[in-house]
Amino acid sequence: MTVPPPSLEALVGDDLGPGELERLRSAHELLLQAGPPPELTPALEHAPVVETGRVIPLPRRYRFTAVAAAAAVAVVVFGAGYLLGGNGGSAAALRTVEMSGAGGAAATLDVFAKDEAGNWPMALTVSGLAPLPRGKTYELWLTRDGELAEPCGTFAVAAGTTEVPLNAPYRLKDFDGWVIVRAGTKTPLLSTA
Amino acid sequence: MTPVNESSPTDGELITRIAARDQSAFEELHGRYARAVLGLALRRIGDRGRAEDATQDSFAAVWRSAATYDAARGPGAPWLYTVARNAIVDRLRRSPEPAFGDPPDLASEEAAPPEQAEASWVAWRVHRALAVLTEHERSIIELAYWSGLSQSEIAEFLRMPIGTVKTQTRKALARLADELEGELR
Repeated sequence: MTVPPPSLEALVGDDLGPGELERLRSAHELLLQAGPPPELTPALEHAPVVETGRVIPLPRRYRFTAVAAAAAVAVVVFGAGYLLGGNGGSAAALRTVEMSGAGGAAATLDVFAKDEAGNWPMALTVSGLAPLPRGKTYELWLTRDGELAEPCGTFAVAAGTTEVPLNAPYRLKDFDGWVIVRAGTKTPLLSTA
Repeated sequence: MTPVNESSPTDGELITRIAARDQSAFEELHGRYARAVLGLALRRIGDRGRAEDATQDSFAAVWRSAATYDAARGPGAPWLYTVARNAIVDRLRRSPEPAFGDPPDLASEEAAPPEQAEASWVAWRVHRALAVLTEHERSIIELAYWSGLSQSEIAEFLRMPIGTVKTQTRKALARLADELEGELR
Protein backbone atom coordinates (compact mmCIF):
# COMPACT_ATOMS: atom_id res chain seq x y z
CA MET A 1 0.00 0.00 0.00
CA THR A 2 1.34 3.40 -0.94
CA VAL A 3 1.51 5.91 1.87
CA PRO A 4 0.29 9.34 0.72
CA PRO A 5 2.87 12.08 1.18
CA PRO A 6 2.30 14.23 4.24
CA SER A 7 1.38 17.85 3.71
CA LEU A 8 3.80 20.43 5.06
CA GLU A 9 1.10 22.28 6.98
CA ALA A 10 0.00 19.06 8.69
CA LEU A 11 3.58 18.42 9.76
CA VAL A 12 4.65 21.81 11.02
CA GLY A 13 1.43 23.73 11.65
CA ASP A 14 0.23 26.86 9.88
CA ASP A 15 1.58 29.61 12.10
CA LEU A 16 4.89 30.18 10.33
CA GLY A 17 5.86 33.32 8.52
CA PRO A 18 5.76 33.10 4.72
CA GLY A 19 9.56 33.24 4.37
CA GLU A 20 10.21 30.41 6.80
CA LEU A 21 7.31 28.41 5.41
CA GLU A 22 8.77 28.60 1.91
CA ARG A 23 12.21 27.59 3.22
CA LEU A 24 10.71 24.53 4.93
CA ARG A 25 8.59 23.78 1.88
CA SER A 26 11.73 23.58 -0.22
CA ALA A 27 13.27 21.04 2.15
CA HIS A 28 9.93 19.23 2.38
CA GLU A 29 9.67 18.83 -1.38
CA LEU A 30 13.26 17.66 -1.68
CA LEU A 31 12.57 15.03 1.00
CA LEU A 32 9.55 13.78 -0.92
CA GLN A 33 11.58 13.59 -4.14
CA ALA A 34 14.54 11.86 -2.54
CA GLY A 35 12.70 9.17 -0.61
CA PRO A 36 14.20 7.46 2.42
CA PRO A 37 17.94 6.79 2.57
CA PRO A 38 18.94 3.12 2.52
CA GLU A 39 19.90 1.38 5.71
CA LEU A 40 23.56 0.49 6.04
CA THR A 41 24.61 -3.07 6.71
CA PRO A 42 27.25 -3.51 9.44
CA ALA A 43 29.93 -3.94 6.79
CA LEU A 44 29.19 -0.47 5.45
CA GLU A 45 29.13 1.30 8.78
CA HIS A 46 32.84 2.02 8.66
CA ALA A 47 35.06 3.26 5.89
CA PRO A 48 36.84 0.48 4.01
CA VAL A 49 40.50 -0.25 4.55
CA VAL A 50 42.09 0.96 1.37
CA GLU A 51 45.83 0.95 1.89
CA THR A 52 46.22 -2.38 0.15
CA GLY A 53 45.14 -0.85 -3.15
CA ARG A 54 43.26 -2.63 -5.88
CA VAL A 55 41.75 -5.94 -4.92
CA ILE A 56 39.79 -8.00 -7.40
CA PRO A 57 37.30 -10.56 -6.12
CA LEU A 58 36.58 -13.95 -7.52
CA PRO A 59 33.71 -13.88 -9.96
CA ARG A 60 30.50 -14.02 -7.97
CA ARG A 61 29.55 -17.41 -9.37
CA TYR A 62 32.75 -18.98 -7.93
CA ARG A 63 32.64 -17.32 -4.57
CA PHE A 64 30.39 -19.78 -2.81
CA THR A 65 32.36 -22.73 -4.13
CA ALA A 66 35.65 -21.23 -3.04
CA VAL A 67 34.41 -20.29 0.38
CA ALA A 68 32.71 -23.63 0.91
CA ALA A 69 35.88 -25.44 -0.17
CA ALA A 70 38.03 -23.38 2.16
CA ALA A 71 35.64 -23.97 5.04
CA ALA A 72 35.56 -27.70 4.34
CA VAL A 73 39.36 -27.87 4.21
CA ALA A 74 39.59 -25.95 7.47
CA VAL A 75 37.13 -28.25 9.21
CA VAL A 76 38.80 -31.43 7.96
CA VAL A 77 42.32 -30.29 8.75
CA PHE A 78 41.54 -29.05 12.21
CA GLY A 79 39.35 -32.02 13.00
CA ALA A 80 42.17 -34.34 11.98
CA GLY A 81 44.70 -32.31 13.88
CA TYR A 82 42.59 -32.35 16.98
CA LEU A 83 42.06 -36.09 16.82
CA LEU A 84 45.60 -37.03 15.89
CA GLY A 85 47.58 -34.50 17.78
CA GLY A 86 45.49 -33.94 20.84
CA ASN A 87 44.56 -30.52 22.06
CA GLY A 88 46.65 -30.22 25.14
CA GLY A 89 49.77 -28.93 23.46
CA SER A 90 50.83 -25.32 23.41
CA ALA A 91 52.67 -25.08 20.11
CA ALA A 92 54.45 -21.79 19.56
CA ALA A 93 53.52 -19.74 16.56
CA LEU A 94 56.17 -19.62 13.85
CA ARG A 95 54.91 -16.26 12.74
CA THR A 96 52.44 -13.72 14.01
CA VAL A 97 50.74 -11.43 11.55
CA GLU A 98 49.04 -8.24 12.64
CA MET A 99 46.13 -6.76 10.72
CA SER A 100 44.36 -3.47 11.30
CA GLY A 101 41.35 -1.67 9.96
CA ALA A 102 39.09 1.29 10.38
CA GLY A 103 37.28 1.99 13.59
CA GLY A 104 39.92 0.29 15.73
CA ALA A 105 39.29 -3.17 14.25
CA ALA A 106 42.33 -5.42 14.59
CA ALA A 107 43.36 -9.02 14.21
CA THR A 108 46.30 -11.21 15.12
CA LEU A 109 46.99 -14.28 13.05
CA ASP A 110 49.28 -16.90 14.60
CA VAL A 111 50.70 -19.28 12.03
CA PHE A 112 51.87 -22.65 13.36
CA ALA A 113 54.15 -25.31 11.94
CA LYS A 114 53.14 -26.80 8.63
CA ASP A 115 51.93 -30.38 8.70
CA GLU A 116 53.10 -33.15 6.38
CA ALA A 117 50.28 -32.48 3.97
CA GLY A 118 51.27 -28.85 3.55
CA ASN A 119 48.65 -27.22 5.76
CA TRP A 120 49.58 -24.23 7.90
CA PRO A 121 47.34 -24.27 10.97
CA MET A 122 46.48 -20.79 12.14
CA ALA A 123 44.67 -19.12 14.98
CA LEU A 124 42.94 -15.83 14.25
CA THR A 125 42.08 -13.46 17.07
CA VAL A 126 39.92 -10.63 15.85
CA SER A 127 38.25 -7.69 17.54
CA GLY A 128 36.34 -4.63 16.44
CA LEU A 129 34.49 -6.20 13.53
CA ALA A 130 30.73 -5.84 13.64
CA PRO A 131 28.75 -9.04 14.22
CA LEU A 132 26.89 -9.85 11.01
CA PRO A 133 23.33 -11.04 10.54
CA ARG A 134 22.76 -14.80 10.69
CA GLY A 135 24.23 -16.52 7.63
CA LYS A 136 26.64 -13.69 6.82
CA THR A 137 30.35 -14.22 7.40
CA TYR A 138 33.80 -12.75 7.08
CA GLU A 139 36.62 -14.36 5.10
CA LEU A 140 40.37 -14.44 5.50
CA TRP A 141 42.29 -14.22 2.22
CA LEU A 142 45.89 -14.35 1.17
CA THR A 143 46.78 -11.57 -1.25
CA ARG A 144 49.29 -11.17 -4.03
CA ASP A 145 50.12 -7.80 -5.58
CA GLY A 146 47.18 -6.24 -3.79
CA GLU A 147 44.63 -8.72 -5.12
CA LEU A 148 42.68 -11.43 -3.36
CA ALA A 149 44.53 -14.63 -4.19
CA GLU A 150 43.47 -17.60 -2.07
CA PRO A 151 40.76 -18.00 0.59
CA CYS A 152 41.77 -19.26 4.01
CA GLY A 153 38.41 -19.79 5.61
CA THR A 154 35.25 -18.14 6.68
CA PHE A 155 34.14 -17.13 10.13
CA ALA A 156 31.63 -15.17 12.16
CA VAL A 157 32.39 -12.82 15.02
CA ALA A 158 30.72 -11.90 18.27
CA ALA A 159 30.91 -8.57 20.03
CA GLY A 160 34.33 -8.12 21.60
CA THR A 161 37.08 -10.54 20.69
CA THR A 162 36.64 -13.74 18.71
CA GLU A 163 39.21 -16.51 18.31
CA VAL A 164 38.85 -18.93 15.45
CA PRO A 165 41.10 -21.69 14.00
CA LEU A 166 41.80 -21.43 10.30
CA ASN A 167 44.08 -23.06 7.78
CA ALA A 168 46.18 -22.13 4.78
CA PRO A 169 47.04 -25.10 2.53
CA TYR A 170 49.31 -23.00 0.30
CA ARG A 171 52.94 -22.03 -0.21
CA LEU A 172 52.93 -18.91 1.90
CA LYS A 173 56.01 -17.57 0.13
CA ASP A 174 53.87 -17.12 -2.94
CA PHE A 175 51.82 -14.38 -1.27
CA ASP A 176 52.56 -10.96 0.13
CA GLY A 177 49.71 -10.15 2.49
CA TRP A 178 46.53 -11.09 4.31
CA VAL A 179 43.18 -9.39 4.38
CA ILE A 180 39.79 -9.94 5.95
CA VAL A 181 36.75 -9.11 3.88
CA ARG A 182 33.06 -9.57 4.28
CA ALA A 183 32.08 -12.72 2.35
CA GLY A 184 31.02 -11.82 -1.14
CA THR A 185 32.78 -8.47 -1.20
CA LYS A 186 36.24 -7.50 -2.27
CA THR A 187 37.15 -4.60 -0.05
CA PRO A 188 39.46 -5.39 2.84
CA LEU A 189 38.12 -4.54 6.26
CA LEU A 190 41.38 -5.56 7.90
CA SER A 191 44.74 -5.89 6.23
CA THR A 192 48.42 -6.33 6.89
CA ALA A 193 50.48 -3.19 6.64
CA MET B 1 27.50 10.28 13.59
CA THR B 2 28.74 13.80 14.20
CA PRO B 3 26.44 16.51 12.92
CA VAL B 4 28.04 19.18 10.84
CA ASN B 5 28.07 22.52 12.59
CA GLU B 6 30.09 25.67 12.47
CA SER B 7 33.16 23.95 13.91
CA SER B 8 32.93 20.81 11.77
CA PRO B 9 35.25 20.54 8.82
CA THR B 10 33.66 21.00 5.43
CA ASP B 11 33.57 18.15 2.96
CA GLY B 12 36.34 19.86 1.02
CA GLU B 13 38.53 20.09 4.10
CA LEU B 14 37.98 16.41 4.81
CA ILE B 15 38.93 15.47 1.24
CA THR B 16 42.07 17.54 1.52
CA ARG B 17 42.99 15.71 4.72
CA ILE B 18 42.25 12.38 3.05
CA ALA B 19 44.70 13.33 0.32
CA ALA B 20 47.27 13.56 3.14
CA ARG B 21 46.22 10.04 4.19
CA ASP B 22 44.23 11.02 7.26
CA GLN B 23 42.19 7.94 8.20
CA SER B 24 40.01 9.80 10.69
CA ALA B 25 38.96 12.25 7.98
CA PHE B 26 38.16 9.31 5.73
CA GLU B 27 35.99 7.76 8.43
CA GLU B 28 34.17 11.06 9.00
CA LEU B 29 33.50 11.59 5.32
CA HIS B 30 32.29 7.99 5.10
CA GLY B 31 29.86 8.69 7.94
CA ARG B 32 28.48 11.67 6.07
CA TYR B 33 28.13 10.01 2.70
CA ALA B 34 27.73 6.24 3.13
CA ARG B 35 23.95 6.31 2.78
CA ALA B 36 24.06 8.80 -0.07
CA VAL B 37 26.54 6.64 -2.01
CA LEU B 38 24.62 3.45 -1.30
CA GLY B 39 21.41 5.17 -2.37
CA LEU B 40 23.03 6.31 -5.61
CA ALA B 41 24.38 2.81 -6.24
CA LEU B 42 20.98 1.25 -5.59
CA ARG B 43 19.37 3.64 -8.04
CA ARG B 44 21.89 2.75 -10.73
CA ILE B 45 22.38 -0.95 -10.06
CA GLY B 46 19.26 -2.16 -8.32
CA ASP B 47 20.80 -5.26 -6.79
CA ARG B 48 21.60 -4.69 -3.12
CA GLY B 49 24.74 -6.84 -2.95
CA ARG B 50 26.33 -5.28 -5.99
CA ALA B 51 25.31 -1.83 -4.81
CA GLU B 52 27.14 -2.48 -1.54
CA ASP B 53 30.22 -3.54 -3.51
CA ALA B 54 29.94 -0.37 -5.56
CA THR B 55 29.70 1.67 -2.37
CA GLN B 56 32.96 0.19 -1.14
CA ASP B 57 34.46 0.83 -4.58
CA SER B 58 33.35 4.44 -4.37
CA PHE B 59 35.05 5.12 -1.07
CA ALA B 60 38.17 3.32 -2.22
CA ALA B 61 38.13 5.65 -5.25
CA VAL B 62 37.74 8.66 -2.96
CA TRP B 63 40.80 7.53 -1.03
CA ARG B 64 42.82 6.98 -4.20
CA SER B 65 41.88 10.18 -5.97
CA ALA B 66 41.53 12.64 -3.09
CA ALA B 67 44.71 14.37 -4.23
CA THR B 68 42.98 15.38 -7.45
CA TYR B 69 40.43 17.44 -5.55
CA ASP B 70 41.04 21.16 -5.95
CA ALA B 71 39.16 23.28 -3.42
CA ALA B 72 39.56 26.30 -5.65
CA ARG B 73 37.41 24.64 -8.30
CA GLY B 74 34.42 24.02 -6.03
CA PRO B 75 33.07 22.41 -2.90
CA GLY B 76 33.41 18.77 -1.97
CA ALA B 77 29.89 17.42 -2.53
CA PRO B 78 29.84 17.61 -6.36
CA TRP B 79 33.37 16.19 -6.56
CA LEU B 80 32.34 13.27 -4.35
CA TYR B 81 29.22 12.73 -6.42
CA THR B 82 31.30 12.52 -9.58
CA VAL B 83 33.82 10.12 -8.06
CA ALA B 84 31.05 7.89 -6.67
CA ARG B 85 29.07 7.94 -9.89
CA ASN B 86 32.12 6.94 -11.92
CA ALA B 87 32.97 4.12 -9.50
CA ILE B 88 29.41 2.84 -9.71
CA VAL B 89 29.44 2.94 -13.51
CA ASP B 90 32.80 1.13 -13.48
CA ARG B 91 31.28 -1.54 -11.25
CA LEU B 92 28.38 -1.96 -13.70
CA ARG B 93 30.77 -2.27 -16.61
CA ARG B 94 32.91 -4.85 -14.84
CA SER B 95 30.06 -7.03 -13.62
CA PRO B 96 26.85 -6.26 -15.43
CA GLU B 97 25.05 -9.53 -14.51
CA PRO B 98 21.59 -8.29 -15.45
CA ALA B 99 19.02 -10.70 -14.08
CA PHE B 100 16.25 -9.89 -16.53
CA GLY B 101 15.68 -7.81 -19.58
CA ASP B 102 18.05 -5.38 -21.16
CA PRO B 103 21.23 -4.31 -19.43
CA PRO B 104 21.08 -0.88 -17.86
CA ASP B 105 22.49 2.11 -19.61
CA LEU B 106 26.16 2.10 -18.72
CA ALA B 107 27.40 4.95 -20.83
CA SER B 108 27.31 7.72 -18.30
CA GLU B 109 25.01 9.77 -16.17
CA GLU B 110 25.02 12.37 -18.93
CA ALA B 111 23.52 9.83 -21.30
CA ALA B 112 20.71 9.07 -18.90
CA PRO B 113 17.50 11.06 -19.06
CA PRO B 114 18.03 14.44 -17.43
CA GLU B 115 15.22 13.70 -14.98
CA GLN B 116 17.07 10.61 -13.77
CA ALA B 117 20.28 12.53 -13.25
CA GLU B 118 18.39 15.25 -11.46
CA ALA B 119 16.62 12.74 -9.21
CA SER B 120 19.95 11.11 -8.33
CA TRP B 121 21.49 14.46 -7.45
CA VAL B 122 18.50 15.45 -5.31
CA ALA B 123 18.62 12.15 -3.42
CA TRP B 124 22.37 12.57 -2.97
CA ARG B 125 21.95 16.02 -1.44
CA VAL B 126 19.08 15.05 0.82
CA HIS B 127 20.62 11.82 2.08
CA ARG B 128 23.87 13.59 2.79
CA ALA B 129 22.03 16.32 4.69
CA LEU B 130 20.05 13.75 6.69
CA ALA B 131 23.29 12.02 7.66
CA VAL B 132 24.55 15.07 9.51
CA LEU B 133 21.41 15.72 11.54
CA THR B 134 21.31 14.50 15.10
CA GLU B 135 19.84 11.07 15.71
CA HIS B 136 16.71 12.65 17.17
CA GLU B 137 16.23 15.07 14.29
CA ARG B 138 16.68 12.27 11.78
CA SER B 139 14.19 10.06 13.63
CA ILE B 140 11.59 12.81 13.63
CA ILE B 141 12.01 13.31 9.88
CA GLU B 142 11.90 9.60 9.14
CA LEU B 143 8.77 9.12 11.23
CA ALA B 144 7.08 12.10 9.63
CA TYR B 145 7.86 11.19 6.03
CA TRP B 146 8.37 7.47 5.68
CA SER B 147 6.81 5.62 8.59
CA GLY B 148 3.28 5.82 7.25
CA LEU B 149 2.14 7.03 10.67
CA SER B 150 -0.15 10.02 11.10
CA GLN B 151 0.94 12.89 13.33
CA SER B 152 -1.31 11.64 16.13
CA GLU B 153 0.14 8.14 15.76
CA ILE B 154 3.66 9.56 15.89
CA ALA B 155 2.71 11.50 19.02
CA GLU B 156 1.45 8.30 20.57
CA PHE B 157 4.56 6.42 19.48
CA LEU B 158 6.87 9.06 20.94
CA ARG B 159 4.67 9.58 23.99
CA MET B 160 4.51 13.32 23.53
CA PRO B 161 1.76 15.84 22.78
CA ILE B 162 0.99 16.34 19.11
CA GLY B 163 1.92 20.01 19.42
CA THR B 164 5.40 18.99 20.55
CA VAL B 165 5.69 16.60 17.61
CA LYS B 166 4.88 19.44 15.23
CA THR B 167 7.38 21.75 16.94
CA GLN B 168 10.12 19.16 16.76
CA THR B 169 9.29 18.32 13.15
CA ARG B 170 9.51 22.01 12.34
CA LYS B 171 12.91 22.27 14.03
CA ALA B 172 14.23 19.15 12.31
CA LEU B 173 13.00 20.38 8.95
CA ALA B 174 14.60 23.77 9.57
CA ARG B 175 17.90 22.05 10.39
CA LEU B 176 17.61 20.03 7.20
CA ALA B 177 16.94 23.21 5.24
CA ASP B 178 20.05 24.75 6.84
CA GLU B 179 22.12 21.75 5.79
CA LEU B 180 20.76 21.77 2.27
CA GLU B 181 21.49 25.47 1.95
CA GLY B 182 24.95 25.14 3.46
CA GLU B 183 25.98 21.83 1.92
CA LEU B 184 28.07 23.35 -0.82
CA ARG B 185 30.60 24.84 1.52
